[in-house]
Parts: sequence; C-alpha cells; structure tokens
Amino acid sequence: MSPSFTDLTEEARIAARALLEYGGHLVNPTVRLGVTGLARAGKTVFITALVHGLVRGGRFPVFEALATGRVAAARLEPQPDDAVPRFDYESHVRALTAERRWPESTRRISELRLQIEYQSRSGRERTLTVDIVDYPGEWLLDLPLLGMTYAQWSAETLRLSRNGPRAVLARDWHAHLAMLDAEAPEDEQAALTAARLFTDYLRACRGERFAMSLLPPGRFLMPGDLEGSPALTFAPLDLSHDAPAKRGTLAAMMERRFEAYKDVVVRPFFRDHFSRLDRQIVLVDALAAFNAGPAAVRDLEDALAAILDCFRTGRRSWLASIIRPRIDRILFAATKADHLHHTSHDRLERILARMAERAIARAEFTGATVDVVAMAAVRATREAMVRQGSERLPSIVGVPEAGQVAGGQTFDGHTETAIFPGDLPDDPNALFDPDSEAFRGLATASPGEVDYRFLRFRPPLLERDKAGVPALPHIRLDRALQFLLGDRLT
Amino acid sequence: MSRRSDQRRPAVFRLDDPDVIVAPAGSETPRTERVVVTPDLDDPALPVPLPPARRRRGIAWGTLFWSAAGGLVSLGVGLAVTRLIEDLFARAEWLGWTAFGLAVLAALALLVVTAREVAGLARLSTIEALRERAAAAVLGDDRTGAESVASDLLALARRNPHLARPRKQLQEHLTDIIDGADLVRLAERELMAPLDAEAKRLVAAAAKRVSVVTAVSPRAAVDLLFVFVTALMLVRRLAELYGGRPGALGLFRLMRMVIAHLAVTGGMAAGDSLVQQVLGHGVAAKLSARLGEGVLNGLLTARLGLAAIDVTRPLPFDALPRPALTDLAGDLVRRTRDAET
Repeated sequence: MSPSFTDLTEEARIAARALLEYGGHLVNPTVRLGVTGLARAGKTVFITALVHGLVRGGRFPVFEALATGRVAAARLEPQPDDAVPRFDYESHVRALTAERRWPESTRRISELRLQIEYQSRSGRERTLTVDIVDYPGEWLLDLPLLGMTYAQWSAETLRLSRNGPRAVLARDWHAHLAMLDAEAPEDEQAALTAARLFTDYLRACRGERFAMSLLPPGRFLMPGDLEGSPALTFAPLDLSHDAPAKRGTLAAMMERRFEAYKDVVVRPFFRDHFSRLDRQIVLVDALAAFNAGPAAVRDLEDALAAILDCFRTGRRSWLASIIRPRIDRILFAATKADHLHHTSHDRLERILARMAERAIARAEFTGATVDVVAMAAVRATREAMVRQGSERLPSIVGVPEAGQVAGGQTFDGHTETAIFPGDLPDDPNALFDPDSEAFRGLATASPGEVDYRFLRFRPPLLERDKAGVPALPHIRLDRALQFLLGDRLT
Repeated sequence: MSRRSDQRRPAVFRLDDPDVIVAPAGSETPRTERVVVTPDLDDPALPVPLPPARRRRGIAWGTLFWSAAGGLVSLGVGLAVTRLIEDLFARAEWLGWTAFGLAVLAALALLVVTAREVAGLARLSTIEALRERAAAAVLGDDRTGAESVASDLLALARRNPHLARPRKQLQEHLTDIIDGADLVRLAERELMAPLDAEAKRLVAAAAKRVSVVTAVSPRAAVDLLFVFVTALMLVRRLAELYGGRPGALGLFRLMRMVIAHLAVTGGMAAGDSLVQQVLGHGVAAKLSARLGEGVLNGLLTARLGLAAIDVTRPLPFDALPRPALTDLAGDLVRRTRDAET
C-alpha cells in the first residue's frame, strides 16, 4: 500500500511515543512482551503459568537466570496504562489451582506489569520490567484490512466463503445476500440482518468441528463494548463493479461503516498497543485444526501468514528503538503439547515450522530471531504406554472435560482416561497436500473414522510444596522464557 | 487412502474399564487379550549406553615393534631374575626363598599397577567419548543422546562429594521434558560450574607459583625443572578434578593431548592475548629481565592449564563461558607490576 497522509500521521504519532518511552527505558529497562494467538490457543493459561512460575519460583531448569539463582524476586506491579484493563491474574490462578478449571478466555486486550529483580552475570543488581500484553489474535487479522478498500474486502470475503466447507456454513447468509441490491437506498434493517447472518457464519466456522482460523473482521466475534454500533453493523456485498458507490445507496453506507471500523477499531489498536511490542509469542493450537481436518489446517496456515505479515520485525538497535520500535524475537509455540506423547513433540514442532515457513523466512531476513517450540504452559496429562494385543501405543493419561465425546463415549469430567491421539506424520508436508484428502477430520468424516482425536483435559491435580504453594507442571515453558527474556537478564 | 493405511487410528481407554489393566513398568503382566496401560514412572531407568566400538586400522607397525621389543626386554628381565634366584638358592636356601618372595611381591605389585594404568586410560577415553557425544547431542538436539550423556556424567561425578547437591538437582530434572541440547546445557551448568571455578583457581595458583619461582630462582636449570613438575602436577590435578584420575601412563597421554591441543588452539588464542602478553612481558622486562621471564613463564603455564581444562573436561564449553587467559593471568601482570613499584 502506498503511504497515505493518514499513514504518515500514524507513523509520526508512533515515533513520538517511542521517543518519549525511550527516555524512561534508559532509567528503567522495560520489555513489552506481546502474547497472542487465535481463540482457544491458550493465551490466558500461558500468562498465568508464566507469572505464577516467576513470582513463586517454579521449576524452570532451562530458564538460566532463574535456575542459577540470579533472579532474586519477581513481583506484580500496578498496571501502567490507565486505559487498558489489567490482566486478572489472581482469579485465573484461583480457577486453575482451586477450582480445577481453565480460566476465562481472552475477550479483549489486557496488560500486566511484572518486575524482576536480578543480578547480572557480572554481579550488578538490576531490575527488568516486563509488560505482558495479552490480545486476541483475531484482532491481528484485522490489520491487513488497513490496506484494503471495502470493495476489495467484499470480494475477498465472498471468495473465501464460497470454497470448501465454508460454503455450507454460509448458506443462510448467501441466501440473504442474493436478495440485497447494492444500488438500493440505504436501509438499516437490511444492514442489521446482513451483519447478523454474516456474524453467525463466522461463528459457525470457528466451532470445534470446523476450527477455521482466518475470520476477519475480528471484532464481529469479540465485539466488546462496540456491540451494536454502526461500526460493527456491516457485511460484504456482491459488488459487480469497482466504481465508487453512489451517495445514499446501501453500498455507500456499508463502505462508510467499513472505514469507520478501520478508524475506530483497527488503527488505535495498532498505534497504542501493537506497534510498541519488543518481543512476541504467537500461540497456535494446531491440534484443534488436526481434529477438524485438512481445510482447517490450510486455513490456519493462511491465518498465521496474515498475522505475521503485520509484525514489524527487525534487529534491536538504539536508533530503531527511538524512531520505530521493532520486534526482535518471535516465538511460535504449538500449545497443548501435553495432548501428545513426548515422542511426537518434534513432529509437532516441524509441522508448526512448516506452517509458518514463509513468515519465519521473512522475519529472519529483517534480522529478527525466530524459534518454534512445542509446549504446554500447564501440563494436564501424564504419559503412558498402552499395549493392545501386539501393538504398543504411546498415549497420554488425563481427565477429559465433561461433555467431550470420543470413541463412542461421553466423558463426565471425573474419569481418568488413556488416549492415543493418532500418529502425526514424520514428514510435515504430508498434512499440507493440495488434495484435500490428506487426512480425515471431524469436518468431513464421522467421529469413528477420523485420523486424529485430541480431547480437552481438565487442569491437573496439583502437588503442593512444603509451603503449600501449588507448582504448575509444564512442558518447555522454561525454554520459551529463556528465548523471550533470557538475553535481557544477562 | 491407501497411502495412509499404515497410520494408527486414535484410541480411547477408560482406566476404570474392567478390561483395562493398569500395570507399572517392569511388572510381568499375563499376555491376555486385555489392554495394558503402563504409566511412565517418575524415574525411568535410563539405559546404560555401550561404549562406542573402536575402529581397527590395519597393522600398526610401530606398536608391533614396541610390543615385540617390550616382550624381549621382559623376557630378559625374567631370565635375569630367575638366574639371580637360582644363584641365591645355590648359595643358601633361605636367601633363595627370600628372593623368590620378593620377586612374587614385585610381580603382584606390577600387576596391580598395570591394572590401574589400564583403568586410568579407559577412563580418559570414556571422558573423551562423553565430550564428543555431548557435542553431538547439543548439535542435533537429540533427547536420548542427551539423557545418556547426563546419566554418564552423573556416574562420573558420583565420587565428588562437592557435587552432591547439583547431582540431586540434575537427577530431578532428568524426568522433566526438556530438549536434548537444553538438557546437556543444564547438566553443564549444574555439574561443571563449581568444577570450573576450582579449575580456574588451580591454574591461576600454578601460574603464580611458576612466575614467582622463575623470578627468584638462582639457576635456569632449577626453574626449568620446577616449571616442568608444576605443569605435570597441574594437568594431573585438573584431570582428577574433572573425574579422570589418570595413572602415570594416562598422565603421559594427557600431557601429549594437552600439548597437541595447545598447538592447535595456540593460533586462535594468540589473537586475544598476544598483545597483552607482549605488553605485560615488555613492561615487566623493562623493569627487570628476571621478572619479565617470570611473567612470561607464568602466562605460558596458565595457557597450558587452559588447554588441559579443554582436554580433561567431560563436556564441551557451551552454556558456560570458556575461561580466558585474562581471567587467570590478568592479576599476574598487575601483581608483578605492583611488586616493582
């Protein structure tokens, strides 16, 4: 996109703020750590486990600063940004440890400030402030809208909705769309209905059976306080030509609202939060996509590419940190690795690396460091070997959540169950075959015929240490921390 | 779909199902049609890795020569001893018996010494192999390799009482899910850090001793001898520190490796420390020729010590910084200057 006047003023505002913050960071070094991921990827659990581990001194052997005892203490500080909600760490911890249920999911942006007191390798006492910013990955999918016109967006969205399994889900909306005339005079009721049906279609795409990922605009699914406002009451129209819409027509109204959405929702998010990040972790729930089928996997791949195109990556330098803050480390984390036996973790990592291949190459070209890890911020399962006849199945043992269905039975949320989820392929390309029959998922096959089945488990029963503080078990959370923060704690 | 027909399908087993048996690992379960679930224990028995097979490289003529010559010499010695005993028996019976007893004792002692030497050599090559395996595990991020390296390292460190706590900690982490490279780094941080500090101290102390003795010794021959003995002792103590415990032959072999290592890395080390060495030497030599010589000898000893650390340490330097000459000998120069002023 060519830089327009709006873009230039945005850049100027970002630079002005960066300059202001740079002064503060000289005195008090600060890292802004962005945590994102699509819905159900495990953002909230990740932050909760991370903060809990740092504050309570968890078992992080690979996180060098903590393991060698250089971190003296970590504590929560008052949230610095007055306009952003605080991440509700305390109630999330309570949900995990006391009530043994997963915390409420991220519906909006939230922030938490953590201060780490540590001693540098040379023995100097220092503090590092970590601002953890939690925001839904769906909002990132909105950022490409900034470069689109309404007509382009309509065409793109309609093209997507007419392919593959989406066409079935969009049937109602398509029927309504066919009755709409873009040239007709503007009509609030028609717009409302269209927006409602469009939102229903997006929501249906996200369900467990289909697990689609690329569903902009993100606020339609997580409206927050803008629900019902005109900025969220629009839908794509079947526009036959590229000419600008006439005043007073339905198309003109939709276009105006689309622009309003960009101004009210997308730009402020980009300016106030997104452009200020130093480090980023992208949590990806690849297992849900495997559950659903090849279409969902390809959709996730597209969504990841779209997310990564938004990041401003580059090597850290003092000039850049003054004028244009950049992300210098990105970690892709395939979450819920505890749903797999550890012998398959390498394969999961390879699959994620293959999904994000293009984005990783681009980020590395600009000088940023990228890593891929299979992890579980809170480990809900144990591992076991199941012998059935002559076969040995590397399985996991846990308590599936109530209401989950697998192998013809419905779970009550109390029974311990061993599950063999299926073999991930050794060669990740096998999953991305262009012919859509690479494997069978819930979207196309009956539950008895699927190739993979990953259940949702309840949080684990926790061991308590001598002081009665529960320790959250994890898989490779320490490696993620070492990558994201280790170099700032030397 | 035939392409993926070899793939195993997902399966679900309820643990409260009567057809499902939960059996701990290692216990014998009857071969029934029922399903057996074996939960992974918290401390899985780690497999003991076999030492890598040595390659044969044809006939080593040099070895053959030395073996043959050695055989001849031993035969000669044996003959001489037998003759001596016979002569002594001829002279007086009790003298003969005494000589016989002494000969048996000597033979026994020789046997024990040889066995120790062989064991020492074997330990050295184990450490060498361990270092290679650790490097490979870090490079390939190989979990199984790293686990076997860690357990070997624990076995090696078992004799060192100062490592009781780090050993315990590492043992606990062995069962966590950690990647191969990270596990090796963790083992290095836990087990090697205290040893490295001690090694640094040993090298620095040896370097200081050498520099002082060289500076004050009256004859060149004395300090030559002293430097040689100190170097030998230093290498031996470093090897013992890192778990090597070499015998005399092992020490000989170690010394050869250290000197070879010094020759290889000498070029690289020149870059970071030559200027300092020359400067330090120059300044000290201006003040007094003997003092300059002392500083130079000390620096050389320190460098030899660093090479010895590289050779005797069972893990490569990866997570921890490699000690540099400036860490050890920095105060050598400073101290000598202070002494002069």
